[in-house]
Amino acid sequence: MKLRFMLKRFFALVVTVASFQVAMAQSSVTGKVTDQSTGAPLSNVSVTVKGSNRGTTTSSTGVYKLSLQAGDASLVFSSTGFAETEVAIGGKSTIDVSLATSSTKLSEIVVVGYGSQSKKDVTGAVSSIKGDQIQNLPVSGATQALQGRVAGVNVVRNGGSPGNAGSIRIRGTGTINNADPLIVIDGIPSGDLNSVNPNDIASVEILKDASASAIYGTRAANGVVIVTTKRGNFEQPLKVSVNSYTGMSQARKTLDVLDAKTLVTLKKERYLNDGIDLNEAWNNPYNLVQRTNWQDELFGNGITNNTDVSLTGGSAKSSFMISAGSYNEKGIIQNSYFKRYSFRINSDHKVGNRLKIGQSLQITRGADNSLNTLSAQDGLIWSAVRFMPFIPVKNENGSWGSSQSEPNQFGDINNPIFTVNTVDAININTRLLANVNAEYEILKGLKFKTNLGVDGSHGSNRNYNIIISDQTRARAENSLSRGFGEGYSLLSEYFLSYNKLFGKHKIDAVAGYTAQTFDGDYFSASKRNFPNEAASQRYLDAGQSLGGIGGNRSYDALQSGFARINYDYNKRYLLTATFRADGSSKFDQGNKWGYFPAVSAGWRISNEKFFNVSFINDLKLTAGWGQLGNQNVGGLQYLALIGNAGNYAFGNTTVGSTAQTRLPNYLISWETAEMTNIGLSAEMFNRSLQVSVNYFNKTTNDMLLSPPTIGTVGRLSIPDKNVGVLNNKGIEIDLSYNNKVGDLSYRVGANASFIQNKVVKLFDGNYIGSSIYGRQSQEISRTYEGLPLGIFYGWKTNGLYQTQAEIDSDPNLKNDSRRTDGLVAPGDVRFLDINGDGKITEGDRTNIGSPHAKMVYGFNTDFNYKSFDLSLFFLGSQGVKIFNADRMQGIDPTYPFNMYAETANRWTGPGSSNSIPRMSTKRNNLNYRTSDMFIEDGSFLRLKNISLGYTFNESFTKKLGIGRTRFYVSGQNVLTFTKYSGLDPELGYVDGNKQLNVDYAQYPQARTVTLGLNVSF
Amino acid sequence: MKNSNFYKGLFILLTISMVGCKKDLLESTPYSQSTSNTFWRNATDAVSASNALYSLLGDENLFPHTEQTWDICSDDQWRAGDHGEDQAIEEFTFDASNPQLGFSWSLKYEVISRANAILINVPKIEMDKALQDRILGEAYFMRGLMYWQFYKIYGQVPVITEQNVIENSYNVPKATMEEIESRIETDLKTAGDLLLATNDDANIGRATKGAAWGYLAKLYLYKEDFAKAIEYGNKVISGPYQLASNFGDNFEAATDNNPEMLFSIQRIQGWTEDNYCSWYYAPRPWDGWGFQEPTDDLVNEFEEGDPRLGYSIARVGDMIEGGPGGAPREYTEGLNNTGHYFKKYAKWRADGSGVNMDLDVPMLRSADTYLVVAEAKIRSGQSGDAEINAVRERAGVNPISGADIHDLIHERRVELAGENERHADLIRWDKANIVDIVALYAQDRGQWKRPRTFTRPRNYYFPIPQRQIDLSNGVLVQNPNYQ
Repeated sequence: MKLRFMLKRFFALVVTVASFQVAMAQSSVTGKVTDQSTGAPLSNVSVTVKGSNRGTTTSSTGVYKLSLQAGDASLVFSSTGFAETEVAIGGKSTIDVSLATSSTKLSEIVVVGYGSQSKKDVTGAVSSIKGDQIQNLPVSGATQALQGRVAGVNVVRNGGSPGNAGSIRIRGTGTINNADPLIVIDGIPSGDLNSVNPNDIASVEILKDASASAIYGTRAANGVVIVTTKRGNFEQPLKVSVNSYTGMSQARKTLDVLDAKTLVTLKKERYLNDGIDLNEAWNNPYNLVQRTNWQDELFGNGITNNTDVSLTGGSAKSSFMISAGSYNEKGIIQNSYFKRYSFRINSDHKVGNRLKIGQSLQITRGADNSLNTLSAQDGLIWSAVRFMPFIPVKNENGSWGSSQSEPNQFGDINNPIFTVNTVDAININTRLLANVNAEYEILKGLKFKTNLGVDGSHGSNRNYNIIISDQTRARAENSLSRGFGEGYSLLSEYFLSYNKLFGKHKIDAVAGYTAQTFDGDYFSASKRNFPNEAASQRYLDAGQSLGGIGGNRSYDALQSGFARINYDYNKRYLLTATFRADGSSKFDQGNKWGYFPAVSAGWRISNEKFFNVSFINDLKLTAGWGQLGNQNVGGLQYLALIGNAGNYAFGNTTVGSTAQTRLPNYLISWETAEMTNIGLSAEMFNRSLQVSVNYFNKTTNDMLLSPPTIGTVGRLSIPDKNVGVLNNKGIEIDLSYNNKVGDLSYRVGANASFIQNKVVKLFDGNYIGSSIYGRQSQEISRTYEGLPLGIFYGWKTNGLYQTQAEIDSDPNLKNDSRRTDGLVAPGDVRFLDINGDGKITEGDRTNIGSPHAKMVYGFNTDFNYKSFDLSLFFLGSQGVKIFNADRMQGIDPTYPFNMYAETANRWTGPGSSNSIPRMSTKRNNLNYRTSDMFIEDGSFLRLKNISLGYTFNESFTKKLGIGRTRFYVSGQNVLTFTKYSGLDPELGYVDGNKQLNVDYAQYPQARTVTLGLNVSF
Repeated sequence: MKNSNFYKGLFILLTISMVGCKKDLLESTPYSQSTSNTFWRNATDAVSASNALYSLLGDENLFPHTEQTWDICSDDQWRAGDHGEDQAIEEFTFDASNPQLGFSWSLKYEVISRANAILINVPKIEMDKALQDRILGEAYFMRGLMYWQFYKIYGQVPVITEQNVIENSYNVPKATMEEIESRIETDLKTAGDLLLATNDDANIGRATKGAAWGYLAKLYLYKEDFAKAIEYGNKVISGPYQLASNFGDNFEAATDNNPEMLFSIQRIQGWTEDNYCSWYYAPRPWDGWGFQEPTDDLVNEFEEGDPRLGYSIARVGDMIEGGPGGAPREYTEGLNNTGHYFKKYAKWRADGSGVNMDLDVPMLRSADTYLVVAEAKIRSGQSGDAEINAVRERAGVNPISGADIHDLIHERRVELAGENERHADLIRWDKANIVDIVALYAQDRGQWKRPRTFTRPRNYYFPIPQRQIDLSNGVLVQNPNYQ
């Protein structure tokens, strides 16, 4: 019903507009527009009379016809990806034009939600990355490929394990909850960016501000990433492209640890210092022999292989793109891997003159074995750093080396090489992303569009645990667990778009309805006690006792209406207004619906008559404001849930049990981000220099926080409440310069973002805690009002006590019973008494550093000289702190582990060291508590990628029957400049967004050298 | 052509109205869970809720490990294992952020929360009165038991009852000592009234009157209300809770559900969680984790020929059932640091397939209650011989006469060795000037029990976990001895 009403309104509008068309035709001109490089006809090329608003577009066969008036001097042809071309009319009645491809940004079309816009008309903050910028990088997914490409978009990687994607943060971390942007792939919101083969991508648009992203309403608060995949062109001859590369990767560095001899010396010294009996284990001469550097054993050569093939082409009525790809990455840790197979069919069809139908289909299958490299209890790298160096990988009798003889001295760690060789785990994820869209032109300029899509995923995992008898962390029983899950999201969208040019007014409008459902279902089962561990017996039926069985279902839905209008007056004044209403199943009746308005305006100063600066070709000032939502939070929180509360037995009678699992919050609702954006963009010096500067200020209100879960509540999960306020503000700068000198053409691009993150309000002014580290349950990160998210929280220190006199006279310990009890000794850390009570207590903990970078930046250059091309891409982060938790444990002699090599320089007497405490088995002074001793400068500059290519002369390759052929060699993570002492300064988020830049000895990113070949024919 | 396109367009429009008009699109369903509106329907729901009182007891961070850890402070055991935080607990150098202090805090309140939910909702269910009483009794018992644990460890803690749940107010100050004692007393008394004396086979292991009275007698002993300790202790002794004929029966999977076992955590391999006690107490080379090893000092406390030593503590040369292949294997030097492990908590399956997860975790035996009555009698000037000798004779040790408090102290130490009583007992006796805990703990007992500094009155209680203090935003105040 609503729709028919809208249709009527549009018809009325069209009639009104048509009445403005009063100019009389005096003569006409016609012609055909083709692609200069292929000769193919170009459709939809805009043809306008220079100095007027009169114009037309070319037909599917590239033909146009235009009426002329007296005084019309020349025509301007413009189309996406081609250089704007001006041709003098000179009385001709036929003007054929072939357009050259162009890198000039002004003519670009950018994809925005539910439509596209010419970049010069954009009033919001939209960044665009072209597919060719991210092709053939040896990365497992498109997320990584976006790293450092544009200002305001930060890809944070937590470790470099194969298949690990990292998180995208647009304009800072917008909420303590899920701050991932909405991913829209070929018009389907909710897709997984890493399911797309990066070589299939035509462009990625990033909607950064409220005006640009408000059309996505409750899902837009953290920005929107729109991925458009490649499609065929009509009337295009068949083109086959093959991309293939192979890469070799290695660990960039390892951590220096103690050799066997020094380790034994230091272990012994602990007992001497403590005045207690030496554990006999340390007198065994066997332990003085250095046998294994465990990190060298763990890290090896990784190999990455990628091959993909694509076919594109089209007839007058149909066009297609078909691609298939295989990506296979073996990580630098033995036996770690990620594989991806991808397949795609995109096609477009014209049915008559008014109806267009398009289709996209993507099937991706990914598999990995997700080795444990994050745990500070038994993670692989963590273990390799700590395992005793005198233990061999294998004993002479062929059995695995083990710490079993003295687990309390040699650590309850299993031989990490044993672990990687016996792990039997796999996660497989198959994704289907498909849509059909139709576009029906009701009247010229008025189109009805529909988009029906499905995003499906099927996941399966298996994990087989063998019996472990000859390692310290033994396992008496083997077990197998399997899980299966599937998720389906169905999308239906219907909208009208209208665009019209009349006089000096240009209108572009879109309005519609969309609904999307999300269904999930899973089950898992495990069995124990498999009598035979042969590979052929590792299936559930072979297990003799039941482990557990579980399964559940979930459902969520969104229903929305949206509208946007773009208005352009005389190419000078631009206005965009957007509105979206979203209903979400995640909230209770009465709180389901949210309304999100946004408006922005632009002023193209350079088109003003008074503007007369010869070197500036284009200058635009924009400003916008809007509200966005975030409903990406746990569902059902408005219900008091009662569920399974575990098993019990009474004698031999087995029972289940039921208890409340969650308290309800009936008022729960979405988070609202309010954002202001001011931007200035300019093109200068004959469009060779492009500059864009944006300022934004974004406040997330009603941020959902779980109230501090005070222990008296028990273990009930506490629903979130809309109480928090978070602010992000910052400046983004993008620069690009291109030039040509003789045969050398080059482009230099740089971007930088300066973002400040500040928590304005939390629950009752209380803090929010985060993950705790290691066996001492050490708290590292906290979030407080008035500070950025997840600051490091602990004690401040000032070197070590060198003498007993220093301890006796230290005001920090004036009233501390540990001083009088003799529990603090020379060589211990001097902690600072922040609250001035003369004791070192929990009250002395404070903010000791922020994990947020002051500046993140990227820098890239491309050179083309004759047949050679060279590109370099740098990525950097400045003014950032890392909490090196692995070092905190790595120099702590109270653990039964090997230690960092620097521990050899420990305090041994006055003046010997002021940073590495004395050796002791005791924790009396808690020297290794969370303190500023373990905070390091995490700034880095990394040559992320360097690539040198050679394209064979086409006259030569044509003789071989092939077309363009390029051979290249590239390096990934080639150089890293940093003062950071850990494995890798690129660290990510843990525990949602509550902890950042804490080093757990994560899987480091590898250094990779790649050889590749692109051939098309 | 034109017409056919028109129909195609119409078809699409029809699709819109079909999908778009789905009315209940935004309704969500909590699959596999109930809500407060769909639960508490009948006796089945009430029983299921009562089962949830028990299902957490075996959590690693509740009784099988964390609550056992407090006894590493005693002279009976050395901490062993590799939990660095335990050193500070054993040596009294911990501060409030020691992780061990916090592990069980919220789990105990979770049991309390489950009890409160039953006390609020079960009375409204129309169901068999006897069953309803039993379930309410179980809830009172479990709440009383949790506050009893809190009381022993921290002294004062917040008391959360039905009223807090109804008012949704959980961030409350500590109750006074009297309030906590009175809460435990009321809950256990009410439980004693409502619970059954014994349960049928299908319900064995549920709380009984005997369990409630056993803990109540202990509370009165701690409060030095000896008359009441004797009164409630005698209810147990004269009830259907006779001592097992064989001391060792209490610590074997096949016989651990006997009348003496007033309360225990029931385990069934593959159904309940694993018996973490077994993991923690079994020697590491024998599939366990090798924690909490008996000291030689404890071994020496046993009288010559006391059979309880053989059931309680392993010594080098012992043959232990359930080795690889099912054959007994010899307990040798080097399996544990002290050369001992607590046999009460670690058994192996007869077929040699590893640690026996069917073994229950004993919480309270009537033998303990006999000794509670004996202590109350001795400390109030009466003879405790009868109760002490009941325990001794069952064990196969000669009776004694004219037993004084030191005989009682000895008897508790050997009868309840490793059962997480010793440190709390010593504190009780120190407060009553019966022992000098400071001097006792200052003794050097060799490499595996060095001298330690116990500070009076600070170490009578452990500090409230720092995280709880921080989270309470000033409402919860730390024990002044730890400020």
